[in-house]
Amino acid sequence: MITLQNIEKVYRTSTIETLALNNINLDIRKGEFVSIMGPSGCGKSTLLNVMGLLDEPSKGTVQLDGQAVTQYRDKELARLRNQKIGFIFQSFHLINDLTVLDNVEIPLLYRSQNGRPRQDYAKDALTKVGLSNRMKHFPKQLSGGQKQRVAIARAIVGNPDIILADEPTGNLDSAMGNEIMNILQQLNDDGATIVMVTHDEQMAKRTHRLIRLFDGTQVL
Amino acid sequence: MISHLFKLIWNKKKAHALLIVEIWASFMVLFGLATLIVVNVGNYRKPLGFTYENVWAVGLRSNRDTIEVANKLQRVVDRLKAYPEVASVSRMSSNFPFSANQMNNGIEYKKRNVLAETYGTDEDFAKTLDIPVPIGSWYRNRDSVGKYTPIVINQKAKEGLFEDENPLGKIVSDKFRVVGVVNTFKAKGEFMADKPAYFELVKASQPWNDTVLIKVKPGTDAVFEAKIVKEIASMLTGWSVEVDYLTNSRKNQHNLVLVPVIIALIVSGFLLINVALGLFGVLNLSIAKRRGEIGLRRALGATGSGISTQFIGEIWVLATFALLIGLLFAAQFPLLNVFDLQSGIYVTAIIIAVLIIYAIVTLCALFPSRQAATIQPATALHEE
Repeated sequence: MITLQNIEKVYRTSTIETLALNNINLDIRKGEFVSIMGPSGCGKSTLLNVMGLLDEPSKGTVQLDGQAVTQYRDKELARLRNQKIGFIFQSFHLINDLTVLDNVEIPLLYRSQNGRPRQDYAKDALTKVGLSNRMKHFPKQLSGGQKQRVAIARAIVGNPDIILADEPTGNLDSAMGNEIMNILQQLNDDGATIVMVTHDEQMAKRTHRLIRLFDGTQVL
Repeated sequence: MISHLFKLIWNKKKAHALLIVEIWASFMVLFGLATLIVVNVGNYRKPLGFTYENVWAVGLRSNRDTIEVANKLQRVVDRLKAYPEVASVSRMSSNFPFSANQMNNGIEYKKRNVLAETYGTDEDFAKTLDIPVPIGSWYRNRDSVGKYTPIVINQKAKEGLFEDENPLGKIVSDKFRVVGVVNTFKAKGEFMADKPAYFELVKASQPWNDTVLIKVKPGTDAVFEAKIVKEIASMLTGWSVEVDYLTNSRKNQHNLVLVPVIIALIVSGFLLINVALGLFGVLNLSIAKRRGEIGLRRALGATGSGISTQFIGEIWVLATFALLIGLLFAAQFPLLNVFDLQSGIYVTAIIIAVLIIYAIVTLCALFPSRQAATIQPATALHEE
């Protein structure tokens, strides 16, 4: 599903060069639930960004469904992100000026989906995460766990093949975290491929495979 | 996407209230200015109705002289006609073309009343100013028989009094008889509205029409002007003589119209520049504050150009809200017939003002939105 070959990511400024990822080779298979762990600054989020086509590797190849996408143009990358990948972030990244329903609809806007079916898909996604009764609420009216559930609904509304979750439970207490984890597991059971960055060993144990990074290098 | 942008702006309406008021105020100023310009351009495009090149207005003031004033005026006219440099001479009232003077009278025909500009002129007036008379003819002294004074009216007066009726020979206000119709006569210059007007025959015996228009032959210069002034002064002791070139008087009349318009343009220009700078600043700030959202949208499938379009779209939506409020006000002008202007003038002014507002907001949004398009999603998401 996602194959990374010899991935290297270097951040350069005028005075300093930082090697964020060094010779990463990974193969995420369809239906897998993979967690990535490592200390802060080891390159976990960078790796997720490279997988999610949000960041370009300095070296190496990213393949999605067997196709090398590294040289794709902005428009093609945007289309792939929209149709194949769902993102979940630690800080939820909800737009406070939009209702829950409107937030969940956003990925479909970039598919030029018409209004009525767009709303129906968003309602379905919210129902799946147990928030059908909060559709007209604004993010500020929700708890942290509810916000993350909205973010999950937004990630799955377009029915993507892969879900990339960057510390989805990082801002939540353990009960809320478990709740989110249950939802992710359910999604995986339903066929979604999930790659999750986490600091939490307990959460990582619930996934199929663990990848450990240290100073940008894959150690496990 | 449009409904999404409307939702986004509507949900932030309180935060955007001042911007909306700013755009609304700019629209109202532009609407006023555009109306002024549309009116003047509309007037300018209508023919003047006469020629003024090589025509001089000689103003004769008798001051304290009350003896045989009419005779003396006629003697001057006859003397001026005798100069080989002079092509034509005409006596008229003091409201000669491009002068600051104005006279008007109400005239009536079959209970239809029209307030018309009034000019007292002699039989050579049309010849002196090359005024075409498409219907009937310019009056002659011999037309002044019986109790009716011959008049020539313009097309506007004809429409107001007679509509589709043939005006020739008709009696107006029980004292005038129409002998001819001219098209337009805009005595205050090209920017004057084409108003109803009539010309009334000046009799040689009337002492009060003391302006003499002379059409000189091309190439006649100030030497001749000095010569006639000297000669008239010797003929009319104690009178004052003043010569105005109609070309110069026309410039003065134009300045009376153009200077206020130019001042309004400058003031509005400054206002719009301020509004534009304000908008530009607000948009820049907004983009800086919304980097996380930009990153998110890129992650969810927006292209760089899509982000740019979104920010331009947002400012258009904002402008649309302001313009809708502005239109509520502007629409009252044609509906209530304010200033007695045609609806078309207001509609044109509204369209111009709307287009300028959209152009300004687009210009203001272009640079910030392009900046937004270059934001790297991974960096923006990480900052949040």
